[in-house]
Amino acid sequence: MAEIQTSKKKRLFTVCGLIVLLLGIALYFAKAPLGLNRKIYDLPIFLIIIGLGFACKGFMMKPGEGELVLSKKAFGEFLTNNAILLAMLVLVVVICILQPRFMQVRVALDILTQSSTKLIMALGICFTLLIAGTDLSAGRMVGLASVVSASMLQTATYANRFFPDLPQVQLWMPIVIAIVACMIFGALNGFLVAKFDMHPFIATLAVQVIIYGACSLYFDMPPNNSQPIGGIRPDFAQLGQMRLLSGLYRGFPGISILIPIAVVICIVIWFILNKTVFGKNVYAIGGNREAAVVAGINVFRNIMGIFILASCLYGIAGVLEAARTAGATNNYGNGYELDAIAACVVGGVSLSGGIGKVGGIVMGVLIFTIIQYGLQFINVSPMWQQVIKGVIIAVAVAIDLTKYRRK
Amino acid sequence: MRKIFILALTFLLIFSFAASAEEIKIGSCIYRFNDAFMLRFRNSMSAESEKLGAKIELADGQDNQAIQNEQIDSYILEGVKVLIVNIVDRMTAQPIIDKAKTAGIPIVFINREPPLEMLNTYDKAYYVGAKAEESGTEEGELIADYFKNNPDADKNHDGKLQFIMLKGQNGHQDMILRSKYSVEAIKNAGIEPVEIASAIANWDKLQAMQIMNGFAMSIGPENIEAVIANNDEMALGAIEALKNSDYNKGDKAFYIPVVGVDANASALDAMDKGEMLGTVLNDADNQGTAAVRLALALANGTDLKSIGYEITDNKYIWIPYQKVTRGENK
Repeated sequence: MAEIQTSKKKRLFTVCGLIVLLLGIALYFAKAPLGLNRKIYDLPIFLIIIGLGFACKGFMMKPGEGELVLSKKAFGEFLTNNAILLAMLVLVVVICILQPRFMQVRVALDILTQSSTKLIMALGICFTLLIAGTDLSAGRMVGLASVVSASMLQTATYANRFFPDLPQVQLWMPIVIAIVACMIFGALNGFLVAKFDMHPFIATLAVQVIIYGACSLYFDMPPNNSQPIGGIRPDFAQLGQMRLLSGLYRGFPGISILIPIAVVICIVIWFILNKTVFGKNVYAIGGNREAAVVAGINVFRNIMGIFILASCLYGIAGVLEAARTAGATNNYGNGYELDAIAACVVGGVSLSGGIGKVGGIVMGVLIFTIIQYGLQFINVSPMWQQVIKGVIIAVAVAIDLTKYRRK
Repeated sequence: MRKIFILALTFLLIFSFAASAEEIKIGSCIYRFNDAFMLRFRNSMSAESEKLGAKIELADGQDNQAIQNEQIDSYILEGVKVLIVNIVDRMTAQPIIDKAKTAGIPIVFINREPPLEMLNTYDKAYYVGAKAEESGTEEGELIADYFKNNPDADKNHDGKLQFIMLKGQNGHQDMILRSKYSVEAIKNAGIEPVEIASAIANWDKLQAMQIMNGFAMSIGPENIEAVIANNDEMALGAIEALKNSDYNKGDKAFYIPVVGVDANASALDAMDKGEMLGTVLNDADNQGTAAVRLALALANGTDLKSIGYEITDNKYIWIPYQKVTRGENK
């Protein structure tokens, strides 16, 4: 059994990082003369970023942190604990070989863009998972928010307007209305759970059905009569489609505005969970509800808060979804809650409550999106994609549970 | 209080039955209410029934054959004079036809065509719709015409047409026939079609957008010469994805012709903006009118020749599709 000290590990990380970094830089300048442009695409840039990341990590490592024990057991543990991540890395390498176009900066940005709304959903649903609950109404709230916001944000000249006589209102108004509509249903979720001690599974199932019905009624109102909503105002569409820094260098597609939005929300949620009393209460209720009650935490108010905050996030996701696709139907968001729950679980949120970190959720969402995007990229049949997705969820939960058993 | 409420409800029910007893009642089942095309269809049916003084009841099958079967049972119990059915799963039409036959009520299928051998089991079973292959053919012709009139549309100048096909729900008759006949039409126009990719997007804008986004990345928009979608919603989703790659934003050098079927409001809007090449109109208005006129003629036992639409093979009314391209719809 060999132990590696932090200083050695630090050196290992830094050196490996620098090697990758240098390789990246070398390839960057060599790819054009060697005629590799169409073979490796933006691989050098990725190598530079990965190398930099590793080198920085090694450089910043504090003494005493991350003692590494080299043994068969530790190696095995490492493999099982990171099985999903490793599987993803293998998949990415395979995809890059099969379809070199995958190694483009724009693909990476596209994956981040697609992750954005999913991340917002997952951050919302994680609150309900943290109290050992769930929220099945999340997806339908996305549909509600997208239909409500889109219905009031159509261009004046569009032939088939939802409200033919509605003036061009301020952009923020329909958005706020849509999110508030979601929050009302979120409050209903919280009320059913907190007041009647209903299991969140059944309470949110009931609310899910109510929301879909209500949304369909709204959607079916004349003159729209269940037509898909189109003719979205360009300023609203921009909210989901605008790209920042698109002229940075030739061929740079720009960073979708959804990415910074998701980052900001991520930081806010991290702050709420880690730095506020409300956040501590969420963990406390999830860890041991009776103890939380004894400790004098107002469970009713906190549960209400959890569901309202979560529904606010679904509302935001719904509005962004409408903006991104420049349209909406009442079927938007169908099944999103299951994707979000799965991403949370893969990211280490325990379904028995009390355990889960924002960083883990970000990882979970990214892993899921990369796998899904990658499979689509190499044209794997959608049916196989479903099978693979299911296997990932099952494996992730199995690993999660064995981890706790070991403890 | 409660008793009064129940009493009031009972009266209301009796009253509503009594009121509708005089006029002819049509029971109509729609496969799913939030379908843009079926919406136009049922609006047209409602308008025509009102004009002819009949009452039409509409039920939402929620895309579920079991639910639709129950709705048909309750229509028969309710005593409707004729059924208009937009079946969820066209291969399971037999039990529905049997039900109508047992009850002695004529049945008119719309939009989704049951197999002829099933229709043949009941003399009062009819079908009103459009020939799905025709929509595919016209889609293919739109693309072929564009290809012939714009030499630059052949981006790699190989004389072949590299296209992407976005398909509807797997197994749906329209999906199969539109996919097949659009390619046939391109072939018949003397151009060799090459399918570089195809995917099932279930008639859905969001799914189509995500899939097309992937294709734009993996294949590259510069290698795609046309996108053929089985309906407009998917075509519009594809356009959103192409706009994401800075295509179809008005610059002719960065343009991929996209075609769909349905001619819904959003598609016409996209065509006005020059984002979409064309679409094929499935004439919901005429189909709805024809279905109601046929149903009422069957219910009243009047001459079927007087309804204004030609009946072929004693079973079908075919309403032709129409091509819609830019400039025609303003």
